[in-house]
Parts: sequence; structure tokens; C-alpha cells
Amino acid sequence: MNQMFVQAESVLLYLTMVLYLAAMILYFIFFALKRERSGRTAGWTLLLGFVCHTAALAVRGVGAGRLPLTNQYEFAASFAWGICLCALLFLWRFRFQALGAFVSPVILLVIGYAALQSREVRELMPALQSNWLAVHVFTAIISYGAFGVSFAVSLMFLLRGRMRDNPFWQQHIPEEQKLDTVSYRAVSLGFLFLTFVIITGAIWAESAWGSYWSWDPKETWALITWFIYAIYLHQRIVRGWKDKAAAIFAVLGFICVIFTYIGVNTLLPGIHSYA
Amino acid sequence: MKKIKQAAARLFSMRTALLILSLLIIACIAGSVIPQEEIEAYYRGYYPDTVGAFILLMGLDDVFHCWWFVVLTLFLCVNLLGCNLLRFPLLVRRVQTGFSPERRLAAWDGTPEAVVDGQPERLFARMGFRRVQSGARDGQAYRYAVRRRAGVWGAWLTHLGMLIIIAGFALGQMYTAKYTVYGVPGQTKPVGDTGYALTIDDFRVDLREDETVEQYTARLTLTDTATGERRSGEASVNHPLSLFGMKLYQNSTGWAAQVQIWKGEALLEHAILCAGEHMAVPDLEDLVLAFNAFYPDYVTGADGMPATATSQLNDPAYLYTLYYQGKVLGMNVLRSDERITVEDYSFVFSDPQTYTLIQLKHDPFTWLAGIGGLVMVLALFLAFYLRTEELWAVQQEDSRWAFAGYSQKGGVLFRDALREKAAQLTDREGEKNE
Repeated sequence: MNQMFVQAESVLLYLTMVLYLAAMILYFIFFALKRERSGRTAGWTLLLGFVCHTAALAVRGVGAGRLPLTNQYEFAASFAWGICLCALLFLWRFRFQALGAFVSPVILLVIGYAALQSREVRELMPALQSNWLAVHVFTAIISYGAFGVSFAVSLMFLLRGRMRDNPFWQQHIPEEQKLDTVSYRAVSLGFLFLTFVIITGAIWAESAWGSYWSWDPKETWALITWFIYAIYLHQRIVRGWKDKAAAIFAVLGFICVIFTYIGVNTLLPGIHSYA
Repeated sequence: MKKIKQAAARLFSMRTALLILSLLIIACIAGSVIPQEEIEAYYRGYYPDTVGAFILLMGLDDVFHCWWFVVLTLFLCVNLLGCNLLRFPLLVRRVQTGFSPERRLAAWDGTPEAVVDGQPERLFARMGFRRVQSGARDGQAYRYAVRRRAGVWGAWLTHLGMLIIIAGFALGQMYTAKYTVYGVPGQTKPVGDTGYALTIDDFRVDLREDETVEQYTARLTLTDTATGERRSGEASVNHPLSLFGMKLYQNSTGWAAQVQIWKGEALLEHAILCAGEHMAVPDLEDLVLAFNAFYPDYVTGADGMPATATSQLNDPAYLYTLYYQGKVLGMNVLRSDERITVEDYSFVFSDPQTYTLIQLKHDPFTWLAGIGGLVMVLALFLAFYLRTEELWAVQQEDSRWAFAGYSQKGGVLFRDALREKAAQLTDREGEKNE
């Protein structure tokens, strides 16, 4: 990749991290010092971070001459971008600033993990030279991003119960029923896209490896994640199993997502070892 | 009869489905953590005795093909099928007669979510409801509308999609025929017992400037040995070739070399051997030559082990092992045209070239799994984004309209949207009046 692109990407990536960190601190001030203005500023800072993040990914994509979705660094950076995108969409749709306070540390952790990975731009190996790459990985980003939001909302749910005596929390964090429904909406989005991920992955695997399902660890863990969220959705719909138990399940589901992404790559190598 | 019905109800229940899914999760975790399909000695050697024995006893060395995993999957199918069969008439009835103002108003406790003045149709329109029914019940005028009725089929169709996928996968496992053929350009080899023969016409490795591989491409001809009909084409990674109803995949590649076996001055054998293969001496089968590895640009690594500096054929070298009656006679690295001699026999490696491994597959049920996947995605969209919603309004004694609604999934958000839009409408009315 051209040195100019490398430098531009580095600057934008670090700026993104600084902005996400600033958003997290402002959200902390919002809650700790009960400053309404900090909350609003934090929201704008998060949005600005997202703009820089998008620019960083775009610069890398232009510099590499392909979509930046092929190795650990690129996927981690895109994963953080997906969480931020979903968080901003949910913030806009459901209008509660507090969501940003819970989601910004998650974004920061994921982009921090990305920053620890090698940023070297490599040419694509033949198996990755497919149009399905963009569809498969992009749907994974949206899916994981939505699960990240459900994780943050579920944490809010669990903490809200413990902060019943704090009027500031009660004022700024929606009622538990609404949090439960928003978490459900995020899981619905994530689940739909995870199904897309598995199906597009199967179509791609059929043309690349000659088998649409090989029980590779990555495939298996994507299926495990799908099963976990399928249980979450069924429990809610059929048995009215909502509230705290559902929130705990959504948190567990996201831990499974993280393992599918990071744990499988590092502990259970398979044919997805480049992912 | 009653007991059979009870057993069926239990088998088709949500509780059973969740139990099966939980067990499948445990099985999948085991299947991903424990190395699969290794030889028995691996499990006995790698794990403590009791753990190794347990893995082998439970079939955890091949989780995804063992009997209990198949039984679990079968139970899941029975559960999904039973659930869908039981729900089908209920859903048909719901779509046909379930969405009625009478039924909804009878079940309503009368608590309004919002109260508005004036024409109620405006709030219906703001909430996205088009066809509004009007009528009267117990002397009170009402309005009622329902939208996205198709949403009630979402979960049912999702189950159907899953069943189709499992059926396609299971049939594929039973009826898929897979073969592998490897060789160098010019070679023709039979494809299992299919009656076809595969000729590798050409094999090309396209390299970039930095020597990384851009693409592997094989030009192939498949011949029907019974009729002599030939069909040709190119297969590369991600671009399989379809010939005679079979898919041909450019699977992998490696190095091969010409091997000559001499006895004195007489040439006994001249064959192409791929790295990893071995061959016995024709008139002394106890003497075996194994071609272990190939180094196109031979160097000795820092650890003293053979290695290659580049992928170019600058200094080709062959790592071989000679066995006699199963015991190692010798192991060394040999250059092209160098000779190794054992008693009367001598061996020569030469003309290294890349070989290609082609996978041939005939899966008559891939399309079925594909349809299942499509049904599932559409059904999930239906379930999550075409949620069935009902909205009704009853005129109160003060002639204002009391609104309430029902959303299949997400009642709180629907309620909030109703309140918000009602408030906006009231504000706008207020502004107009001022």
C-alpha cells in the first residue's frame, strides 16, 4: 500500500480511538457528575469518531485496492465500526443517550484489539478472491454489531435494577420493559444477519472448497451462536421469558460472538485460519 | 391414546426444542474443541487414559457423524415438523378470522394508550394503517385496522426453511459422491468407479510480483470412457467447473518429480511421484522409496533442517526415505539427476513440476439446502420486520377517541410510538386552533 495511504490510515485510526475514548469519558462524566451537557457532547463525539473510523477504513480500502475485510486487523476494525453503526442507528431510532455510555467501552475494546494486530496489507489469497467476501463479511459486521448493541442494552437492564435509588439513572435509562424490547430488536437484527452470514458463507464455501458445510471450528461456532440466540428468541416469544434472564442470555450470546471471532481464530485453527 | 397424545405434545413442545438445541450446542462445542477424525492411537496418547477412552466410547472423535448426534438432529426435525403441523391450522384460522374488531375489543380491558379529538383516521394514517374498518359495539363507535398479517407466518416458515436445509444436508451426506484426482499436465486418471477419466491438460500457477500466488488454474478434460465423449474447461479456486453433472474444483497443489528406478544398467521403472507419495521397487517390493518433500530453491535452515529460499526452481532438491521391510535404510536430500544406490538398485529424481489436486463432486441435493436457506432468510425478515400489528379506537362519551393497539413483538415500542404520534397530532391541532 502506498506510504501516503498508510500514514493517512494511521492518523485517522488513532484519531478515531481518541474520539471514542473521549466519548467514553464524557459519558462517564455524564453519569458520574450528572452533567446533561456531557451526555449530548459525548453523543456528538461518538458520531465524529464514527466518521473518522469510516474514513480510516475507506482510506485503507482505497490504498489496498479492495475492501478492508480480510484479516484480523481489518475485521476487528470493521467489527468496531459495525457496533458503532448499529449503536448510532439505535440511538437515533430509540433516542436514549445512555446507550452510548454502555456501548462506547465495547467499541473501544474491539478497536483497541484491532490496533494490536498487524496492519500489514497483504494481497488476497486465491480462496478470498470472491465477490462473496464482501457480502459474507459485511453481514457478519452488521450481525456482530447488533449483538454488541444488545449486549450493551442488556448490561443497562441489569444495572438499572441495581440503581433503583438513583433518580438520574431512572431518568436517563429507559424503563426495563423498553430496554428488554430494544435488546430484543437488536438481537432480531443480529440474528437475521447472522443467518445471512451462515448462508452466504455456505454458498461461498461451496464454490471455494467444494463443500458448503465442513464443520470447520468457525462454522461450528457461528452455528453455536445461532443456536444460543435461537434459544433466546424462543424463550422470549413462547414462554414469556423476558427481563433479567433474557438480559443475562444476551450477555452470554455476545461472549459467544467474541469467542467465535477471536477465540476460534487463536485457539481452534481450521480452514478459516486467515479470518 | 391419551398417553400417545401426551407423548406427542411433549415431543413437539418448545421445552423439548430448547433441550435439543442445548444438547446440540454442547455437542458442537465438543466437536470443535476435540480434534476430529484422528486415529484411535491419537486420543489414547494425547489425553489421559480415562478421557481418551471416554472420547472414543462416546464417539467424540467424530461428533458430527456419530449416532447420537444424528439422533439429536432427527429429534429436532421431528420437533420442528410436529410444531409446524400443530400450528398450521391455528395460523390459518388466525389469518382468516383472528383479526376481527369484535374479538380484539372483547379482549380489551378498556385502558387507552392515547386519547385524541377529532377524526381518528388521522392517527391511524400516522401510525401507518391504511384500511380502517368502522362499526359500533355496545352502542359505541369504533375504528379498527390491522397490518402485515403475513407476519404471523414468519416463525412457521423459519422452521420450514430449517427443515428443508437439514433435509438437503442429510440427503447430500447420503447421496453425494466425492472423488479426488491428482497429477501433472498430460496425465489421465480414472475418476473412481464413475466410468469417467480425467485428463489434466494444463496447470498454471499465476504469481504476483512479490511471488504470492494470485490464482491456480487447471485446464481439464473429462472423458466418458463408455462413449468416448469428451468435455473440457478450466477450473480455478472459487471458480469450479461443471462437466457431465459433476463439479470439478481446483483443490490444492504440490510438487511432483520424475523418478527412475534402475537395476544395474536396466531401467526398471519410470514414474511421476508426488511429494508425500511412495513407490515399491517392481521386482523387490520390500524395498520402498518415499518422496517426502521438495525444495525448489534448497537451503539449509538456521535449525539445520532443509528449507527453500524462494519458490523458484533455482536449486531443486528432494527429501527421500528408503525403507526395506518397513525399516528405514536411509534418509537424505538429493539434487536432480543425482543417483542413490542400494545394492544393485539405484534411484534418480528429475524434472520437478507442480501437480494439481482436483476434487470432483456430484451432490444432487445442494439446491434443496439452498432453497431452505432462502426460505429461512425471507421468513426471518417476515418474522422480525413485518410484525403483525393491530390498532383500534373507541369513541368515548365525551366524543373523543380512545386508542389502543397490539404489536406481535414489541408492544412497548408500539405503545410509545402511538403515544408520541397522538401527542404530535394533539399539538398540531392546538396550534391550528390558536
